[in-house]
Amino acid sequence: MSKEPAPPIVRTEIVEFSFDGRKFSGHQGETVAVALLRQGIIQLRDAPNTPAARGMFCVMGICQECVIEINGKRKEACRVPISSGLIIDKVKY
Amino acid sequence: MNFKFDIAIIGGGIMGCETALRLTEGGMRVVVLEQGDIGQGASGVNAGTLSMQIKRVKLMPYAIKGHAIWEKLGEIIGFHKTGGYTLAFNDREAELLKERMMLKKEAGANISFVSLNQLKEKEPNLANKVVAASYCPDDGYANSSLTGYYYRTRMENAGINYVEKFKVTNIRQTSDGYEVSSGENLIIAKRVLLACGGWMKDVAAMIGEELPIRARINTVSVTERAPKLMSTVIGHATGLLTMKQKPNGTVLIGGGWQGKGTPEEGRGTVATDSLIPNLQLAKYAVPKLSNVRIVRSWTGFEANVPDFYPLAGALPNKENLYVLGCVRGGYTIGPYISRLMGDFILGEEPEMPLFDPSRSFESA
Amino acid sequence: MYDATIIGSGPAGANAALEAHDLGLKVLIVDEQRDAGGQIWRVKSKSILSAPSTEASIKGDALRERLKQSSIEVKFETRVWHIDKNEEKNWIINLVSKDGSHSVLSKALIIATGAQERVIPVQGWTLPGVVGLAGATALFKEHMMVPGKSTVVAGSGPLVFFVASEVIRLGGSVAAVVSINGFSDWIKALPAMVLNPKLLWQGIKWIGDLYLKRVPLYWRHGIRSFEGLGHVVGVNVRKANKKWYLRHDPNIFIAADSVCYGHGLMPSIEASRLAGAVHTYEPALGGWVPFTDENGRTTVPYLYVCGDNAGILGAQAAPHRGRLAAYAMVEDLNETLPEDLLAKRKAEKKLLKWASIFGKAATGLSILQPGAGGLISKQTEVCRCEGINRLEIEKEVKTGALSPNAVKSGTRCGMGPCGGRFCSESMALITEQATGKTRAEIGLPTARPPLRPVAMDEIAKDLNYDDLPIPGVSPL
Ligand SMILES: Cc1cc2nc3c(=O)[nH]c(=O)nc-3n(C[C@H](O)[C@@H](O)[C@H](O)COP(=O)(O)OP(=O)(O)OC[C@H]3O[C@@H](n4cnc5c(N)ncnc54)[C@H](O)[C@@H]3O)c2cc1C
Ligand SMILES: Cc1cc2nc3c(=O)[nH]c(=O)nc-3n(C[C@H](O)[C@H](O)[C@H](O)COP(=O)(O)OP(=O)(O)OC[C@H]3O[C@@H](n4cnc5c(N)ncnc54)[C@H](O)[C@@H]3O)c2cc1C
Ligand code: FES
Repeated sequence: MSKEPAPPIVRTEIVEFSFDGRKFSGHQGETVAVALLRQGIIQLRDAPNTPAARGMFCVMGICQECVIEINGKRKEACRVPISSGLIIDKVKY
Repeated sequence: MNFKFDIAIIGGGIMGCETALRLTEGGMRVVVLEQGDIGQGASGVNAGTLSMQIKRVKLMPYAIKGHAIWEKLGEIIGFHKTGGYTLAFNDREAELLKERMMLKKEAGANISFVSLNQLKEKEPNLANKVVAASYCPDDGYANSSLTGYYYRTRMENAGINYVEKFKVTNIRQTSDGYEVSSGENLIIAKRVLLACGGWMKDVAAMIGEELPIRARINTVSVTERAPKLMSTVIGHATGLLTMKQKPNGTVLIGGGWQGKGTPEEGRGTVATDSLIPNLQLAKYAVPKLSNVRIVRSWTGFEANVPDFYPLAGALPNKENLYVLGCVRGGYTIGPYISRLMGDFILGEEPEMPLFDPSRSFESA
Repeated sequence: MYDATIIGSGPAGANAALEAHDLGLKVLIVDEQRDAGGQIWRVKSKSILSAPSTEASIKGDALRERLKQSSIEVKFETRVWHIDKNEEKNWIINLVSKDGSHSVLSKALIIATGAQERVIPVQGWTLPGVVGLAGATALFKEHMMVPGKSTVVAGSGPLVFFVASEVIRLGGSVAAVVSINGFSDWIKALPAMVLNPKLLWQGIKWIGDLYLKRVPLYWRHGIRSFEGLGHVVGVNVRKANKKWYLRHDPNIFIAADSVCYGHGLMPSIEASRLAGAVHTYEPALGGWVPFTDENGRTTVPYLYVCGDNAGILGAQAAPHRGRLAAYAMVEDLNETLPEDLLAKRKAEKKLLKWASIFGKAATGLSILQPGAGGLISKQTEVCRCEGINRLEIEKEVKTGALSPNAVKSGTRCGMGPCGGRFCSESMALITEQATGKTRAEIGLPTARPPLRPVAMDEIAKDLNYDDLPIPGVSPL
């Protein structure tokens, strides 16, 4: 969604991963949050006490607003890189 | 002399505050002196377990009464009666469990032994390694974080004077009362109650009382919200694990593992080499905890005398000087034993006996 | 056992490490990022194979290269989660990485954890699409990404203009720049800024560029609220006065799908607090800072701090502070400092002094003004983790909860996974307004581990049950 300046930014190859049951793609090694942002997905989870959506906020691994789940483990989407076939779930509780 | 206060209570934890409330009911003018904030000592940072299975045999009747007081308060202090299991992971522990729980049962706790099938049904996430378990339907927990809020509000409503950030540095006996001071600030009262939790030894020493007190520093940890992993309070035969999941999904893990520091030095610190086995044991009991993240570990102080029974009564060498502390399981027992203490100071016969601080302290 | 462990490999920590290493110490440097550089020279993501270089990337690459050339031991993608001491008074530094948790021992410890941003909550700030102002720079530097198609950049200090210019450089579009500082604040800071003509020129260029590109620039305006359902769709802006009070004018609505929003930086002091150092409140340095001598020695033996976590003085000051801390440490470990280092120390101090004047002027633009607390409306969620709003905090304060620990206990504000890193500032602001107490009197909540959430199986490896160190059975 966000415009990229013309080359010379060269990125790694595109890989596929899934988030919350949907397929997405991104550059191998970029963070989950950034790969999703590129495709317009900024709602990463719901707030703990309300159904309000939350997304990446501090971008440095502190606020914990961006947490997602990989293999049942909570990870910061702003820090975890994507790789081919990675299955990412939304935090459910 | 005309005293503004009939009694100065040093320490604004459960013991100090609840006694203050009783004494006020009984007509006394009370002042509570607290070095920090009301209910931010052990009373506000403990694990909140209200378990009969971890109470000492002789203290069981007190624990039952204390539990009933918290139960009546219900939501205000986050009370939940969930039942609780105590686990044994090998034959030696099973033996220990049997022996101990029988005695506790005789002392009045509603404890039974359960089959592993029953256990599995109720707590499917427990490890298969359990070899024996006991159960008490009365076990549960409350939210100790709310202690400060609760007692502040009650003391406000009862019109009790309490002074925060008043660290008692000196106590002096006068001809007919006491001068309690914090630096320049002085409060005069006819009586003094020492209810200073883990700090008791040093405060008692200010008035010349040498009590054989040792401070302990317990560790508690909490996880972030997790899927449902347990519905009861989980304990361990040795007492080295208490664990429960709060309605919001967070899991609180305690068990009396020791941190570092002394009450004089500040709030104490978490020791890596006792935090890790504490968490290992928790994970051993509920393997699914593996994936859950710890968000905070902390410590709190409590005091013990060599026989691990409370100090609750009048100190022998001086008139009108009282002590209440060193209560093992004091979050559970606190509200009740404090009321007894209040009755005693008011000159009434307490419903159950207190624990004479001038006894000889043989190790239990 | 290391002579020295350094937490953080930004310009402060990396330079401390390089200096200590050159002086013959056995040094370990730990950082949670994948390479050195810190916030200012943040390393690019692995997903970027090549890209045009910027000043930051060139300086960062140079620093990374120097570290690589040295034989300093580095542990990247490794987080410090707890700091403890053993009986011999050596530091136990608990780390967690992909391989789980382990600890290292060190005689001395330098904390160089940098800064964290301050964001004053206003209605709607939790909407997806709203990111921190400093946080946004991580998107630019690490990923060369912009936060959306159309971005509002708002808040205080120089970062506002840097972020706006980066959005444009990377192909995004800036819907508006909303600076709570007035142009006159900048004029006031000018004499100090002149000391660093290069940075000043950079600043002027950023602002000039925005005018050229006809980006609406709202001087001395603040954000009243964010609008949107599920994601941000725009901001409501109002004119402010010098003290950051918003006027009761009608809102100016600016549509945007992303907002970068923040109010300067605060020292990241959790690690130095955990290590037991005394801290004091110094608004001119960004808030609470460890109490130190001019070399970065804290109140705890063999504990040093350098860089923005010791007070926000910026990247220019950081290397000097790093080297000074290294000298102090070497001096303490060897009980002496050779003549030539005394001279070097003197030179570093002089350079630091100049850099600090500039750094302080920049930090000065973000010193909270009296109106700051008033930006937080009653219903605004202050604690994002636990969903606690201003009203709940005020109520708790009214019942007599006068310290951060007491408010936290009563409300859960600050008890969530971020450990209060974003709300304790606001909680203190609200308490300040409600009680009239000063920030120094209000104090801080107790520092507790872990410094970042850590999974149970990372801390607690599988147990061989018979190895459990059972200290004895509780009395019957
Ligand atoms: C998000 C952000 C963006 C910034 N962007 C700019 C900018 O664009 N321009 C500018 O002039 N200034 C910027 N700053 C200011 C910044 O603080 C610089 O002044 C400079 O980076 C300070 O250098 P430092 O070495 O003190 O700290 P930093 O560069 O911040 O380095 C600290 C390092 O410590 C590491 N760390 C912290 N805690 C832990 C832990 N528990 N375990 C392991 N590692 C840890 C971090 O990963 C980081 O690499 C920014 C600050 C922040 C917070
Ligand atoms: C970490 C931990 C976990 C625990 N878990 C449980 C549990 O799960 N279940 C259970 O039943 N019990 C538990 N306990 C025990 C229970 O918390 C305590 O027995 C009980 O809270 C003690 O209450 P108190 O009022 O005596 O002490 P405190 O609550 O510590 O109050 C003493 C007060 O005195 C103040 N004070 C001290 N010195 C001075 C001075 N010089 N001047 C002024 N004020 C002073 C202190 O600041 C403090 O607020 C636990 C204890 C700890 C530490
Ligand atoms: S955005 Fe704050 S932790 Fe990821």
